[in-house]
Amino acid sequence: MALAACGPAVAATMSFEDATAILADTCGGDIDANCRGVNLDSSRLKDCLTRNQDSVSPQCKAAYLGAFDAIAKRVAARVAVRKSCEREATKLCGAAPKQDAKALACLLTATRGISANCSRAISEAGYR
Amino acid sequence: MRKAPRAPYLLNLVGGPIIFMVLTTGAGAQTAAATPDMVHQLGGLQAAADVDVAVLRQQALDRIKSRADSEPLKRPPVAAELPGLPQIAFDVQFDPDSAIIRPGSYRTLGRIADALSDPALLQYSFLIVGHTGVTGRRESNLTLSQRRADSIRDALVTTFKISPKRLRAVGLGEEQLLDAAHPAAAINQQIQIVTVGQLD
Repeated sequence: MALAACGPAVAATMSFEDATAILADTCGGDIDANCRGVNLDSSRLKDCLTRNQDSVSPQCKAAYLGAFDAIAKRVAARVAVRKSCEREATKLCGAAPKQDAKALACLLTATRGISANCSRAISEAGYR
Repeated sequence: MRKAPRAPYLLNLVGGPIIFMVLTTGAGAQTAAATPDMVHQLGGLQAAADVDVAVLRQQALDRIKSRADSEPLKRPPVAAELPGLPQIAFDVQFDPDSAIIRPGSYRTLGRIADALSDPALLQYSFLIVGHTGVTGRRESNLTLSQRRADSIRDALVTTFKISPKRLRAVGLGEEQLLDAAHPAAAINQQIQIVTVGQLD
């Protein structure tokens, strides 16, 4: 059995696929029209859409910050796992710092010894 | 000993639903789940591959400059070791003669990022391989494919924070056709991601 549930259910952050799909679906035409030549780069593309707020469509304006924010949240959630599960990774899994693959493989199959904080971080990161 | 290669899957997002086709047959489109299939296809590296990106680039360039293997149908691959490694190949739409990724392919990049950051693949490093068809000059195609492979790597690193240590990029132009029997086929413009190494 995998990790036992601890406390109320924790929502996973949005997948990168879903976030990029929102960006493409709502802003594809606006990017073509206003940001041609700007690649998929969360800083430059966001800056370009912000600079061209007066030209972009209402649906893009309403969605693009949320899409970039969703990507940033998932990245942050995955970074947070390292900190929230540091004790478990070392003591339970014998993983050295930055051995994320080894630590996660162990943490995702551990049946006991996982703190609520670590468990929540894993869920928010979308690792299960 | 290296595990027997699995048939790479092709992700095709052009004009409709996501479909996967088996490269070795070049036909028979079949629906498949996305990220889990990619994770499955990219996992299972048995031994790190001895792939030197700088050497590959130089070999491709030298072959072009020497005008060797000018007939695409008879052109041997530059990197003979790549087909035996775990890999996926997929379409990415770029602006013409450019490395700018079209918005229609953002979702593909997001899906790739999901796969590469899956716990089952965190232990691996990957080679992003750019290809082109046989239209145009070979050297220009080599340069364009390198820029496009770099562009994919940049997006994965800057936007999705995939560790740069896990990703290398190489463009092989038309020197390693994905469908050598059909040099003009669109499949030859796809991007490959190949599992090449394991992190310490």
